[in-house]
Amino acid sequence: MAKSIKYIGRDSMSDIELASHLMRRAGFGLRHEELLELVKNPYEAIVDNLLNETDASWLGDYMVRRFDNEASGMINVPGTARTWIYRMISTSNPLQEKMPLFWHGIFATGIPKVINGRVLFDQINMFRKHGLGKFDELLIHLAKDPAMIVWLDNQENHKDSINENWGRELLELFSMGVGNYTEEDVKECARAFTGWTIGNTDYMMTRAKRDSDWPYGRIAYHFEYKDDDHDDSTRTFLGETGHFNGEDIIRIICKQESTARFLSRHLYHFFVTDEVPVPSWQDIEPKDPEAIDILVKAYFDSNYDLKEMLRVLFNSEFFKSEKIRYKKVKGPAEFAAGVLRLSKEFDVPTRDLIPRHRQIGWMGQELSNPTSVEGWHEGQEWIDTGALVERINFASEFLGNKENNGVKQIIKNIESSSSGHLTSAEIVSACLMELGDLLIDQSTYDALVEFSDSVEGVSEKISGVLGLIGSTKEFQMA
Amino acid sequence: MEGRGFEYPKDTWMSNSGRIYVPSQSRDYGERGVRITILDIDSGFFGTFGHYGTDPGKLISPTSITANAEEELFICDDYTNLVNVFDVEGKFLRRWGLGGTEAGSLSGPSSISFDSDWNVLISDTRNHRIQKFSQEGKLLDIFGTEGRGEVEFNLPWGITCDSADNIYVCDWGNNRVQKLDANGKYVGEFTSAGSRPNVLNHPSSVTIINDEYLCVADWGNETVKVLDQNDNLMQELRGEAGLSKWAQDFMNTNQEEHLARESANLEVSLDFLEDRTPHAESAHIEKYFWSPVSVKLDQSGMLHVTDSNRHRIQVYKPVS
Repeated sequence: MAKSIKYIGRDSMSDIELASHLMRRAGFGLRHEELLELVKNPYEAIVDNLLNETDASWLGDYMVRRFDNEASGMINVPGTARTWIYRMISTSNPLQEKMPLFWHGIFATGIPKVINGRVLFDQINMFRKHGLGKFDELLIHLAKDPAMIVWLDNQENHKDSINENWGRELLELFSMGVGNYTEEDVKECARAFTGWTIGNTDYMMTRAKRDSDWPYGRIAYHFEYKDDDHDDSTRTFLGETGHFNGEDIIRIICKQESTARFLSRHLYHFFVTDEVPVPSWQDIEPKDPEAIDILVKAYFDSNYDLKEMLRVLFNSEFFKSEKIRYKKVKGPAEFAAGVLRLSKEFDVPTRDLIPRHRQIGWMGQELSNPTSVEGWHEGQEWIDTGALVERINFASEFLGNKENNGVKQIIKNIESSSSGHLTSAEIVSACLMELGDLLIDQSTYDALVEFSDSVEGVSEKISGVLGLIGSTKEFQMA
Repeated sequence: MEGRGFEYPKDTWMSNSGRIYVPSQSRDYGERGVRITILDIDSGFFGTFGHYGTDPGKLISPTSITANAEEELFICDDYTNLVNVFDVEGKFLRRWGLGGTEAGSLSGPSSISFDSDWNVLISDTRNHRIQKFSQEGKLLDIFGTEGRGEVEFNLPWGITCDSADNIYVCDWGNNRVQKLDANGKYVGEFTSAGSRPNVLNHPSSVTIINDEYLCVADWGNETVKVLDQNDNLMQELRGEAGLSKWAQDFMNTNQEEHLARESANLEVSLDFLEDRTPHAESAHIEKYFWSPVSVKLDQSGMLHVTDSNRHRIQVYKPVS
């Protein structure tokens, strides 16, 4: 690794590097000046703030709605996604946007069946609101979420004719994982959720089938419980017997050790280190079984509280370890959001969010349009030759553009930090610092210095180096 | 979305002959949906013009429309920063404007109006100011700067004048309508403060009724409010739309959807909403306003509310 540059008044860089690591994982990265502000507090307090912060002053929704029609009317998903992307790049509470990204990857729901951008927006909002709460409560909200109901056909799950789709995925993909329940449990789970549907089912499904936005745009779906379509018979589920409705089923699911392990492995996979894809979990042990045990304990100790699980995770040695830094591939949305936060292209939303959203899709992650009910396979699978080129071009284009306010500010900061001649080595080190105190491999560092040597003019050197840093291996990783 | 229908309409203007002109901004890059639609109050359809493009006579993002004494249509575009002039048949006449922050340049013009001398007033949104031009685009005056104080604005939107040339500006980001005199001097402001908790919330458009009342599109609250000159709330509309003739025609030719609609409850109880914001309510109740972006009075005194997210114009008769 390149040697970090020293800061006046600071003996050690470890605290700022740790904070940078935290904010890359729990957020979308921070600039150096933001990190300096952050590390005035102890690490544990930073974590507490991250988990407890609210962003009541944020008016981004109004801004997006005013300047982006589809982000307001949400006929289809691009408007939904652009609203979210703008939140990611402008919020002061990044974990509040990272958690929906986490849940969207697990409870993957998409436009091809839902056919209503607003309904998918409502689901992401639900993740935003409940994604750091109790897991059982989150699953109940998920079971009542209209997008999920339509995505997994629960409006077709009737007392006299069950549809197992939701019941099966609830157990297999959303809570326990394959191998921890029986086929009879799937059927009883489905029966418990009969009558859980959306209001105006016929009209909404007729419109969805026809992809109709006539005459007046989409109408949002809403949950409706139809008692007369609910199978209230006695059932046995995971060894317990009773007149179980959907809430009871979720309560039983959340008591299971397998649920705690499944959820813990997901959290580890998303926030700590890339694991193998989820379908392999029943065959391949976790990378760090002790870490999973710690998270499982936090799950039960806190009565399934996700915030407490994350508090344990972020404060753990396995999270803070230098061994896992720059070892996790950024997902396309978090990668792009990180770039745009640094470049500050969008002080206010503009129509240019439209191509940015498309570019994220070309990198492999079209928000609210996952590849399947399993969501995206993350980690190394984000990177193929096409996606890598998209990522590099994206970062180079926006971090290397001197017209972007964030780049202007970085150039100004670096130029004003020295009264004399800036060497290429100093420029590269300063750029790495400005982009969030990044560490890179020595050979990459040397290549950047060599590049800087080949460019005339300080601002050109800086913008060129910034663009190139965006193409480095380390910048692709969190 | 060519032909009849609107796609994210932004404004209306009615000619002396009763023709109504509606700019649609469409979605995304909207190649198919950007146009000016010509119709009348009985839903007669008379064609479109001003389709997507940057060539003369083309539009990218039309935001507002008005007309001079000769009924030349002035349409501003917040993407090209141009004012485009057409005749009532849709024939392109000329255009002017320049993007930027300098005096006389525009950045995201969102509303256009005339004063009694037929000078052009433009809400120069991203520059947080009002600019006055001749009809040929010569800069005559500039009012305001970014801020929260008197004659300061935060992303201003709708603009109009009364008969005394007082200027009313929807100061969107400051949740108020500012009233300036003809020289741009601060006269007062309106927030509907007496109607708490429903004070103005990011107003988008204002029109003046008989020099006495303000009719305000209260965009953030998804309502239309009528205020007197003392800022008292006189009336509030939430939206009462039924099916237009065009919508009914659609239903008549799409019977499966029509029958399903007939049996649906379109005014469901909204108790299920966790965050009961007006925007969320309007997403569920079709008859409500959803992004009301323009209020205009026609020659007969009827109120045209451009209901953008519902792709329609709601028209209200004055009752007194």
